[in-house]
Amino acid sequence: MKLTFKSSITILLTIFSISLVFLLNDEGEIPILFNLLTFAGIYGLAAIGLNVHFGLTGLLNFGHAAFMGLGAYVTILLIPHAAGREGEITVSGLPFFLALIIGIISAALFGLLLGLPAIRLRGDYLAIVTIAAAEIFRLLVRDLESITGGVYGIINFSDALQQSRPVFINNFASTYDLNPSQMWVAFLSWVSIFLVLLLLKRLTNSPWGRALRAVREDEDAVRALGKNAVWLKLQSFMLGAGIAGLSGVLLAFNYGTVQVSTFIPILTFYVWAIMILGGVGSLTGPIFGSVMFWVIISETNGIAQLIFENANGQQIAGVRFVLVGLLIMVLMIFRPSGLMGKKEELLLDVK
Amino acid sequence: MIEQLGNGLLLGIIIAVASVALSLLYGVTRIVNFAHGEIIALGAIATLFLSSPIDSRVLFLDRFSPLGNNFYLSVLISVLFCGLFGGILEFFLFRPLRKAEVGNIAVLVVTIGLSLFLRHIYLLLNAKPQNFPLELQRRQTYLFFDMTPRNFRVLILGIIVMVLVGLLLNYTKIGKAMRAVRDSNDLASVSGINSDNIILFTWISSSMLAGLAGVFQATINDVRYNMGFLILLLIFAGTVLGGIGTSFGAMVGGFIIGIVVNVSVGLPFMEGHTEAKNAIALAIMIIILLFRPQGIFGEKERLS
Repeated sequence: MKLTFKSSITILLTIFSISLVFLLNDEGEIPILFNLLTFAGIYGLAAIGLNVHFGLTGLLNFGHAAFMGLGAYVTILLIPHAAGREGEITVSGLPFFLALIIGIISAALFGLLLGLPAIRLRGDYLAIVTIAAAEIFRLLVRDLESITGGVYGIINFSDALQQSRPVFINNFASTYDLNPSQMWVAFLSWVSIFLVLLLLKRLTNSPWGRALRAVREDEDAVRALGKNAVWLKLQSFMLGAGIAGLSGVLLAFNYGTVQVSTFIPILTFYVWAIMILGGVGSLTGPIFGSVMFWVIISETNGIAQLIFENANGQQIAGVRFVLVGLLIMVLMIFRPSGLMGKKEELLLDVK
Repeated sequence: MIEQLGNGLLLGIIIAVASVALSLLYGVTRIVNFAHGEIIALGAIATLFLSSPIDSRVLFLDRFSPLGNNFYLSVLISVLFCGLFGGILEFFLFRPLRKAEVGNIAVLVVTIGLSLFLRHIYLLLNAKPQNFPLELQRRQTYLFFDMTPRNFRVLILGIIVMVLVGLLLNYTKIGKAMRAVRDSNDLASVSGINSDNIILFTWISSSMLAGLAGVFQATINDVRYNMGFLILLLIFAGTVLGGIGTSFGAMVGGFIIGIVVNVSVGLPFMEGHTEAKNAIALAIMIIILLFRPQGIFGEKERLS
């Protein structure tokens, strides 16, 4: 990342928002900060995946939660876990990293399966189809209780990841009085972001990346040059879905349970808000967007207390979503390119 | 399966009225309005507020109305209020966006933000699911399906409204102007149609229909802050099935989706899986988009 005017402003804003955590909280700043950085890492990763779809290729995907969910469910069902009301423990399972790879590949294949029919549709129709597919996924997962645990979810799977936790994480966590399991998930998610960004950096600068951007700008021209535009779009859809699958796994390990209620449309809208805030089409933008977004989210508690005396959980959640909705609207109207995006690289109209 | 037909018709009329509204708006403005569900909920919430007993506290506000709490009057005022709200949205939000030549995809994302925003404002106002203050009624048999007299009246009223919308679109001057703007904004402007006014009228009428659909849904079920969002995807399914942008198609599509959702509960492989009934309607929508993206009654223009 070159230090341009835009990126310096973004970095300054990010530092400012992190310092807000210290200004607004009297005690326990460090745990609050690391909690929000964990979420920022996981959601930032999901937003990077979404950015491959929308920013790079111009595909309007509103079913991101399903890709995240599929990755999480496949991975966790393959490792030792306890699912359902009875919570019967399945002891046998694959090693974690093998299960993770299968989970990511399944999310990518789900992207292919959904993309094959849907990718030819015009932008706004793709939005409807993806959000509907995500809803079908959610309803099926909730319904197939014998496999997925239904509304009871899955628990007792964290050991598969946590037994590989290195000592320095434990030391770090005990120094600052943090939860070591969460630290390990946070560490892994930021490492994943770094690796995924390295991969994407190479890919977007390759002929393949240029062809994808060309698809976004003018599909007919790409066809005329003899490229298979549909296959290019499908590849992008699979890549973004795979990244989403990885972030879904991390999200599940962060919670320590997999619940159907995690992978609802709201999750998709969160990721959208992060992507727009960070900058559509910018590789590193979503990371900064994610940190700032989670600072806002973690401070809504205080904002809700200002509006309502002794705000209850529902009111805090309400204030939070009102803010997210407002953020999406205001950004899309006044600054659709977000912090780091380039306006000329935005796909804003149906072709 | 036949006992589900009555429920299917009732869900069908809600979705049909809401789908016509969505389709009308899409046809004229090309906006896929994800905030449609929130206008539906607004109709129901306003009716709940106006028809609740005086001196009760609804929505954290002391109930006030100089007009008393007559239910039908409340419905009328709420529907008009939804129209006003739609007009305000067009005037202060979507018209400036159009004038600034903001693209359709950006507007779509704006409606998603608007939907989240409004829905959780409702959550802050009205937390628990509530019923309209109406007395309970016993089910009766009409032809070969059972429903309460009130729900039967909803069904009849819904059908009358649909016929009126059809007449308005086909035989009145403003209806013809709406169809002209739908087919080509530029040509309509050249023929002396003020397309801004037509779009404003479309927003108002679409929002009034959505509000009415909300009142229907709340009468049959109950009032919840997310009631609109819960059936939004079914409304999309109905609209797409009939052909987005076509009013008659949206009506038929909406009815089909409503009936399919409820009748599918009786299918053998659905036994014990009633929660997943919406999945069937959504799957139908995806299949329709695969093989006939223009819907049953639409024209071919949906592929990229």
